[in-house]
Amino acid sequence: MALPISRKKAIKEWKLYLFVIPSMLLIATFSYFPAISAIYHSFFEWQGGDFKQFLGFDNFTRAFGDRVLWGSFVTIGILVLANVFKLIPSIFMAVLIHRIASDKWQYWYRVLLVVPMIVPGLVTLFIWKFFFDPNLGVLNKLLDATGLKTLLVLCDERLFHWGVFQSDVPVAWLSQPSLIIPSLIIWGFPWIGTVGVLIYLAGLQAIGSEVYEAADLDGVTPFQKFLHIELPLIMTQVRLSLVLLIIGTLQGFGLQLLLLGEHGGAGGRGMVPGLWMFNRAFVAGEFGYACSIGLILFVFILLLTFVNNKYVRVEK
Amino acid sequence: MNLKSKRLGSDIPKHVIIWLIMLVELFPLYMMIQISFKDNAGFLRNPWFPSPISEWNWSNWAFGADLILPYIANTVFVAVTGTAVGLSIALLGAYFFARYKMPFSNIIWAAFLVLMLMPGVANIVPLFALLKSMNLLNTLWALIVLGISGMQVFNTYLLRNFIEEIPKDLFEAAEMDGASHLRQLFNIVIPMSGPIIGTLAILSFLGAWNDFMMPLIILRDRELFTLGVGLIYLDGEYIKQWGKIMAAFFIASIPLIIIFLFTMKLFVRGLSSGAMKG
Repeated sequence: MALPISRKKAIKEWKLYLFVIPSMLLIATFSYFPAISAIYHSFFEWQGGDFKQFLGFDNFTRAFGDRVLWGSFVTIGILVLANVFKLIPSIFMAVLIHRIASDKWQYWYRVLLVVPMIVPGLVTLFIWKFFFDPNLGVLNKLLDATGLKTLLVLCDERLFHWGVFQSDVPVAWLSQPSLIIPSLIIWGFPWIGTVGVLIYLAGLQAIGSEVYEAADLDGVTPFQKFLHIELPLIMTQVRLSLVLLIIGTLQGFGLQLLLLGEHGGAGGRGMVPGLWMFNRAFVAGEFGYACSIGLILFVFILLLTFVNNKYVRVEK
Repeated sequence: MNLKSKRLGSDIPKHVIIWLIMLVELFPLYMMIQISFKDNAGFLRNPWFPSPISEWNWSNWAFGADLILPYIANTVFVAVTGTAVGLSIALLGAYFFARYKMPFSNIIWAAFLVLMLMPGVANIVPLFALLKSMNLLNTLWALIVLGISGMQVFNTYLLRNFIEEIPKDLFEAAEMDGASHLRQLFNIVIPMSGPIIGTLAILSFLGAWNDFMMPLIILRDRELFTLGVGLIYLDGEYIKQWGKIMAAFFIASIPLIIIFLFTMKLFVRGLSSGAMKG
């Protein structure tokens, strides 16, 4: 802890304030000022320049009647839900590595986990975009080679009548409207999050080998071990990554922008709130309206954070 | 048979499952590397397996290097400058918070912490307007300044906790000798916080390296492109030579591979602690 200091000494030590001024100025200019500016400009018609016209609450009434915005919230809701399930492989992986007896292997698996991180995230995403390519893409080749395509076509024709999979037409993952959300979900399979696995492993470290030996003596099944020994220990980390993931997904739009473009792909099916904000500002030049979309999203996330802090308490 | 070898034997299925998952996880990287040596015709003929070395198409790599190296130079400039300056400023700020409970330091601290909880999404549009009015659009300085300010909260938070753990007698002894605060920072704090500074440096560098949203909004001229925008434009080309694109992707990863090889331990630890933010 920082030491308490008397007023007299504090005055003598005034130079210490110089230490914190650079950081303060930076966050004031680049974090607080834009936030205030966003609130202010959400009441204006504004094109990013000096000219602006006061609109009152018009931007917000427009937003509440904006079907694209409503649709984008539905889409992001689906993606958040999918991402929650995508946490499972990382937990599974962490438990598997933790149960390996050899420390040496555990270390090397950790290193192996970090390997995907050294490729820029953007590159991984673009490789997946290439996988999705209808003619050259690896995903369609894989479906053809394994015969899964025939299965999908059969399901489509006989069971569900989606009208999406046809036997002699390559699957257009990113341009067929009804496949856009599935594509946004399956990219990155098998969804091993390096950082996630590493923090779960750090949490699992607290379990001593004697706990496992006792469990073995009692004839506990591997799944029960997970439920009663491992999961409780990493619950803090799981909740933390859940919160970060939900917030991250809600405000993120890089994925959609890069895979589908600024209009959210065919039929705008991949449109998410952040992307709509980006689109309004940098495609339509409606900075004021973009600010109000950003603000609505901001309030939404903040409310969710509060609800989370209140009801999903992480007990130590 | 003793207990140890019994456990080892039963570990084999786990090893198999881990390897299977990791193979799928690393499959995109494998495809990137092997396609980078093929042209489109070669890829169509043989999509799955590497072509024999005699047929390797090195011109892809020459093309990729020409295209990507200037972007890498810009990115290294932005990431290194931003990380060095940003960490120094955060260190100063952390020292202020960690030494004494100065008047108002609680309020300033609260102003820092609030930013950890606040979603930054609404800031993007006004930031663009702000940079425009500062005449910083289409410059690398804009990215550097944003990088520096963006890393303040998290780095100051971790560094403060670290500096507070340093025994107080060290500071008192230095003060007896008449050492100024700056001298104490240099002679006590920095020598003791090598590992944490290293970890934070890697995280900040990774952040700058992977950033594409702000560069995309800020940069217009091709010669200023950082890796992020450069790759986006490469992806937007109409006729795609996948071999060349994959070679460019691979070259874009090389700097991180080099850093990774030298700092493997720091990397693994940095990533585990980096997730604890918030």
